[in-house]
Amino acid sequence: MRQNWWKFLGIAILIYSVVIGMSTPLKPGVLRMDPLSIGQNGNDSLRILHGETHKFKVKGYNTNFIDNDNIAWLKLDSIGSVKASKINIVNDTEIDLTFDIPNHFPQRDTFESLTLVLYNIEDGPAILPDAVFVRSDLDPRNDNSEWEVNPIANLVVKPGMQFPYRSVLHETIRNTFFHIPLWFSMFIMLIVSLVYSVKYLINGNLQHDIYASSLVNVAVLFGILGIITGSLWAKYTWGTFWTTDVKLNMSTVAMLIYVASLILRSSINDIDRRAKLSASYNIFAFAALIPLVFIIPRLTDSLHPGNGGNPALGGEDMENTLRMVFYPAIIGFTLLGLWMSSVLIRYEMIKDKWMSRG
Amino acid sequence: MNLSHVLAIIKKDIDIELRQKYAIGGTFLFAITSAYIIYKSFGELKAMEWNILVWVIVLYAGLNAIVKSFIQERKETYLYYYSLFGPLEVIVAKLIYNYLFTLFLSFTVIGVFSVLLGNPIIDVSLFMKALLLGALGISSVFTFVSSVSGSSSSSSTMMSILSLPLVLPSVLIMERTTAVAMRLINDSEIYEDLVILGGIDLLLIGMIILIFPGLWKE
Repeated sequence: MRQNWWKFLGIAILIYSVVIGMSTPLKPGVLRMDPLSIGQNGNDSLRILHGETHKFKVKGYNTNFIDNDNIAWLKLDSIGSVKASKINIVNDTEIDLTFDIPNHFPQRDTFESLTLVLYNIEDGPAILPDAVFVRSDLDPRNDNSEWEVNPIANLVVKPGMQFPYRSVLHETIRNTFFHIPLWFSMFIMLIVSLVYSVKYLINGNLQHDIYASSLVNVAVLFGILGIITGSLWAKYTWGTFWTTDVKLNMSTVAMLIYVASLILRSSINDIDRRAKLSASYNIFAFAALIPLVFIIPRLTDSLHPGNGGNPALGGEDMENTLRMVFYPAIIGFTLLGLWMSSVLIRYEMIKDKWMSRG
Repeated sequence: MNLSHVLAIIKKDIDIELRQKYAIGGTFLFAITSAYIIYKSFGELKAMEWNILVWVIVLYAGLNAIVKSFIQERKETYLYYYSLFGPLEVIVAKLIYNYLFTLFLSFTVIGVFSVLLGNPIIDVSLFMKALLLGALGISSVFTFVSSVSGSSSSSSTMMSILSLPLVLPSVLIMERTTAVAMRLINDSEIYEDLVILGGIDLLLIGMIILIFPGLWKE
């Protein structure tokens, strides 16, 4: 019992990350705002009519518009914004906003994208970047006082744990706790397996060969699960199950390398020879994995976070609420994988014992 | 490591290759026939297709040729080598020999393609650099895998499933570089790719030299 504490720890952490990861609500957000652009109809539809009043239909997500004092702004830049003059609540997630767009923009003939900021005390701020596009064709005026009448102020973030609302991801942001930790723990297991392969080549202990190959088995399983979760994620965010994205295809090749190593093992009958060859191949495969996973994806653009200017794990790219579940999930999946491989190791050892007894 | 031993093994391999004319002849005939099939079925080829097909043919012809580099001789002969040479000498000799073979094969395929389908290469020196580095990666992976899969029963299937995913990084970067040499893509930092290609080669060869002495004792 005492030496099994890490298995229970792993399961406890996994249960924690699944329960918290699935039950924590998303922050309120704005799904869309219609129309996307304002101005005249026809060819010149993006051209704004000066000083006009425009009405927008806004659809919120996880919002509670009823029974709250809602405020809305269209934000031009860090200082300038315009407050909604009339607000008509349809229901909890639908609201009609009327804005009096000022006459003058800071620049002439450029497209400006305005950000919608919705606020009430219960929801906290909900933001839709690039909510509406406008173009001005009047000369800019030196003072932007029209934009500074009602600045955005007094926003209070709702206390309590909520996951961030991201426009493309929506609820699939929770896949962060499955897709990425699966890859992390796969890598950890491959590294441990590499260590055991090196150990085997140094001391020739057949146990270490069984350790290495069992770890590779579970790592391949995790890798396949990582591909499946990623593929489902891609369906809901990028629109297809499979794309030409470089990370996708390189990780598939990495899986092919390791599946091939399992086939190599099963093709040799002599135990010592099998151990020696598969340990050698395992080391070589890991060396070949480094360019596949770490170098080639850096050379080309990728849809994945961390490539081609997309945000990833570092700095402010990931919110702390996500981190609270994400890092435990990595540990949990790694411990689960190690447990699975320890079961496999014991099975292989018993099998070897019986085989050698004849 | 004794350089004269290495040279002796290379010389022996070349001698065997020239004596058994069917093996080397078969490989080159395979390459030429494939090129001819492509020529007859495509008629005209775009530069990108030219580029890809050249490397695919080199890859498969090389795979067929190098698979036998550790099984062409009898076990007793290896025992004899074992008493004569160190493992390092054997693997270095095999690496050099297979590298030269792959280069020779690539030039043959490129030559046949150029005669039949025209030659789209614009930046010859860049193309040559990519070829020299890429062929080194391909041939060293093939050499290693042939030493691993050598005596297993279905070694030619094993050889392809083990080595094709492993050579993929080298082949992809090489194809990209040669595409730049044909001015199909613009990339001002292509020399970075060449450095990476060389880095992968060094990594692979280093691993082989580390691992092979353990395998050789078999």
